[in-house]
Amino acid sequence: MKRSLTIRAAAVFAAVSLLSVNASAMHIAEGMLPVPWAFGWMAVCVPFVAAGFFSIKKKVALDAKAKVLLAMCGAFAFVLSALKIPSVFGSCSHPTGVGLGAILFGPTATTVLGLIVLLFQALLLAHGGLTTLGANVFSMAIVGPFVSYGVYAGLKKAGCKSAIAVFFAAALGDLMTYVVTSIQLGVVYGNFAEYLSIFALTQIPLAIAEGLLTVVVFNVLEKYSKEELRALHVL
Amino acid sequence: MGTDRYAYLSRLRDVDPAPKIVLSFAILLGAVVLPSAAAGLFTLLSAFLLNVFSGGQKPRVVGHFLKIPLVFLLIGALTIVLRPLPQEAQAIWSGMLLGRWRWGITAEQLRLGLTVFCRAMGAVSAMYFLSLNTPMTDLATALRRLHVPKLFVELMELIYRFIFLLSDAARQIHIAQDSRLGYEGFRRSMHSMGALVSMVFLRALRRGDRVFAALESRGYTGSLDTLPKPYAPGRWLYALCPVLLAGQAVIFYWERRWLS
Repeated sequence: MKRSLTIRAAAVFAAVSLLSVNASAMHIAEGMLPVPWAFGWMAVCVPFVAAGFFSIKKKVALDAKAKVLLAMCGAFAFVLSALKIPSVFGSCSHPTGVGLGAILFGPTATTVLGLIVLLFQALLLAHGGLTTLGANVFSMAIVGPFVSYGVYAGLKKAGCKSAIAVFFAAALGDLMTYVVTSIQLGVVYGNFAEYLSIFALTQIPLAIAEGLLTVVVFNVLEKYSKEELRALHVL
Repeated sequence: MGTDRYAYLSRLRDVDPAPKIVLSFAILLGAVVLPSAAAGLFTLLSAFLLNVFSGGQKPRVVGHFLKIPLVFLLIGALTIVLRPLPQEAQAIWSGMLLGRWRWGITAEQLRLGLTVFCRAMGAVSAMYFLSLNTPMTDLATALRRLHVPKLFVELMELIYRFIFLLSDAARQIHIAQDSRLGYEGFRRSMHSMGALVSMVFLRALRRGDRVFAALESRGYTGSLDTLPKPYAPGRWLYALCPVLLAGQAVIFYWERRWLS
């Protein structure tokens, strides 16, 4: 059974690498989900988005500058997800940025910013879609950031070096996003294993790449902008 | 950036965004609700024609945008169509994978895959009717009229504006690094990309500071209010909704009859 799975995975991987997909694999494209699932995921997202919205509202009421800064952070997330990061096999992919976002802005604010960024990506770049917005928000703006933030906070508390905590937060956040996406598609079409094996083989190297990148980013930020980072935690 | 450039050039630019949103969502939902490949293709075609003839977009441009989600949809459809099969199952085509596992295509899976693919292409095309004819600023005004929370719409407007600032900065840094061989090899690419991301982030923060100072010195009290500009009413778009929805339904019905 185990061998059949690996061989199946290898075959799927070969088929996929031929077509070299990874640019928009993390987004569920418009129209891929039937209506009950599409609206179901939207409903699941509502409490998280509402909680994020009220936390932002509170911050903005305290300090009007927070709004402008949060907007800058949202735009940063959009630009980040449009960059191509180098990956181990010489292929390129887009970072999800969920780890960086969650560590810098906290998971609840990331949810709202993620919603806006995903909306723009759907409308401006056709990555993702309007009916699948709920499912995409759930995987990329809720599960990813919460996992990242949990891993980061947990490892910090356990006394790990911050580079290690950042690496695992970003890599696992990225990976969990893909796992959730494959589950969302697999539940509908009954082919979990295929989606998971495609994503596992193409995404594990990318998750590692994103982890490494996030560590590099963090080192630079720690070196040159202690003050801004501190201000952000106040935010 | 993406569809945005073309939205400003659209002939429907001055039409009220509300009917455009309604029409786009109506046919989008129609395409997604009906489990039918033909209705999807009908939606694809009608949104394409709307974009070309009333929006005044070049067919080549619309075609280019339709190609973007194509790869992902093809992969998605392929994983639905091509599946491992039990030994005794009926199949249109099947082969042995490495001599041991039977993979193949059944009529049922093929139909499901085609339906999902066509339905998704129809839905994407319907979404393009909105995004290729409505600039984001107009969309934000419309959302405000639809009582989306003010803070949310303001964040959207600000983020939209800042995206252009930051992607310009990112592009400049990238060119500077690339021209100095900053992306040769994996280690060096990582280093350069890390520097790029952190610098863009710092610029974003500092720019945010300056934008806030500029706003405050002009009497900013916590919200950015603008007046909507006068729009053409575009009632004919509302009239088009039932026509296209009926078209989808009729095509769906025909497909059903033809298949059974």
